[in-house]
Amino acid sequence: MQPEERSASIDIENVNHLFAGGVRAVCDATLRIHAGEFVSVVGPSGCGKTTLLNLIAGLIELRDGRIAVAGAAPLAGRNDVAYMLARDCLYPWRTALENVMMAGEFRGVPKAARMKRAKELLGRVGLADFENHYPKALSHGMRQRVALARTFSMDSPVMLMDEPFGALDAQTKLQLEDVLLDLWNAEKRTVLFITHDLNEAVTMSDRVVVMSPRPGRIIADIPIPLPRPRSVRALQKDPHYHEIYSNVWSRLEEGLSQNGVHPA
Amino acid sequence: MKTEIQRNSPTVLIAQIVSLAVFLLLWEWAAKTKTVDPLFIGQPTKIFAYLYQSTVVDQVLLKEAVWTLSETAAAFVLGSVAGIAFGLLFVLYEPIERFLDPLFSALNSLPRIALAPLFLLWFGLGPLSKIALGLSLTFFIVLNNTVAGARSVDSDLIILARMLGAGKARIFFKVTLISAVPTIFSGLRLGLIYALLGVIGGEIIASQHGLGQLLSLLANTFETNGVFAVLFFLAALGVTLSKLMSAIEAYLLRWR
Repeated sequence: MQPEERSASIDIENVNHLFAGGVRAVCDATLRIHAGEFVSVVGPSGCGKTTLLNLIAGLIELRDGRIAVAGAAPLAGRNDVAYMLARDCLYPWRTALENVMMAGEFRGVPKAARMKRAKELLGRVGLADFENHYPKALSHGMRQRVALARTFSMDSPVMLMDEPFGALDAQTKLQLEDVLLDLWNAEKRTVLFITHDLNEAVTMSDRVVVMSPRPGRIIADIPIPLPRPRSVRALQKDPHYHEIYSNVWSRLEEGLSQNGVHPA
Repeated sequence: MKTEIQRNSPTVLIAQIVSLAVFLLLWEWAAKTKTVDPLFIGQPTKIFAYLYQSTVVDQVLLKEAVWTLSETAAAFVLGSVAGIAFGLLFVLYEPIERFLDPLFSALNSLPRIALAPLFLLWFGLGPLSKIALGLSLTFFIVLNNTVAGARSVDSDLIILARMLGAGKARIFFKVTLISAVPTIFSGLRLGLIYALLGVIGGEIIASQHGLGQLLSLLANTFETNGVFAVLFFLAALGVTLSKLMSAIEAYLLRWR
C-alpha cells in the first residue's frame, strides 16, 4: 500500500455519542475505512448515522472514543475532507460556476486555477452550458449536480456524504449515482456515504455497514463483490446484483434480529 | 403574475387616466362654481399654474426641494450606515445588544416627532435638526432589518462554508452578510421614505428652508393652491425615490 493512500483512511474506534438530554445517538462504533474505499452506512432514520458522519467531519465534538481521519483528529474545514449534504446548499447569490469555485476561494487556490477546475467539473456533471445560471434557474437535479461538482472541486482525498441524493426523484437519483461513480472512478477518493436506501448502498459501495435503530450500533459490515467500474442503471437488470442484494438484505435482517430488533 | 399583467394592461391604464380626468374636472367644477369653497380645496387649474410657476418660472419649489432632498440624503445615509453598523455589531456581539436593548426599545417606541423641539434646541433652525430627526427614524428601521436579516441566515449554508474551509470572518462577510442583503434592502427602502418624513416634519415645525417650510408658509397664508402643488410634488418625489430604490434592488438582487 502506498503511503499516500494509507493517509486517506478513516479510523473509528469505540465511539459513543450522547446528546444533551441523554439521547444516545452512537453506541460503541468501531469501523475502519481504507484509502480509496467506497463505504456506505445504512440504517433507519434517526439511527445516528448522520451523527457519526458529523463526528468524523468535526462538526460535532468527539467526547468518547477515537476518530482519525488521514491520521489526524477530526476538524471542520480541513483541506483533505470534502462534505456534501442532501440539500444542495448552493449559495443563491452565486452562479453555478461561482458556487463550484467557492471551495478553492476559501482554500486560497489562485483564481485561474480554480476557474479551470470548476469549468472542467461542471462539464463532467453535464452542466457546461449552465455555468452562469443562478441556482434559482436550475432544477433540483441540476443543483445537486453543481453541489457534486463543488464537492469534487475540493480535491480532498476523503469525502463525507450525507444522503446526497436523498431528496431527488428516483430517475434523477439513478442518473446522479452514475455521475458520482464516474467521478469517483476517475479520481479515487475515500468515500463515506450515508444513506437509508439499501439499493443505493449496494450498487455504489465496496462495503455496506448496517446500523441498528437508536442507539445506533454497527451490526453488520458486508463486502459487495460486484466488479468495477459499475453502472448503477445497468445493475438494476443484473441478476448477480439481485443475488447480492438479497444476500445483504438477509444479513441485515439477521443483524437486526440478533440485536433484538424485528424488521417490519 | 396574472394580477401584474392585468395591472399593466392598456385597459386598466385607460380606465385610470379617464377616472383621473373626470375627478379633476369635477374638482375644477366644484371649485369654480364655489359648490365647495376653493379656500379648502383649491382649484386644479390654479394648482397646476402654481406648479408651473414654481418649477419652471421662478423655480421656488425646486430650490426648496434641493434643501429637503439634501437633508433627506444626509439623514438617510447617516442613519443607514449607523443602522447597518449597529445591526452587525449586535449580531457579532450579542451582549452589546442585550445591554443597549432597553435604551433602543424606549427610543424606538417614542413618537420621534416629539424629539423635534429638543433637536431644534440642540442643532438650531438649520438643516442639522432636520437631519437628526430623519436619521432617528431611518436608524431604527435599518437596524432592525439588519439584525433580522443576519439572524435568519440558513444554518446549513454556514455549516457548508465551514466545511469548505472558510474562517469566521469569511463566513460573516461572504455568507451571513450577503444573505442579509435582501432584508437590509427592504429596510433601506422604508428608511428612505421615513427619512423624507422626518425631514419634512422637522421643516414644518420650524425652519427657514425646505418643502416643509414652504408648505407651512403657504398653509398659514391660505394659499391652498400652493399647498396642493407642494403635496403633488412631494407625492411624485416619494414615488420616484421608491422606484429608484426598487430599481437598485432589482439589479443588486438579480439572483433572487
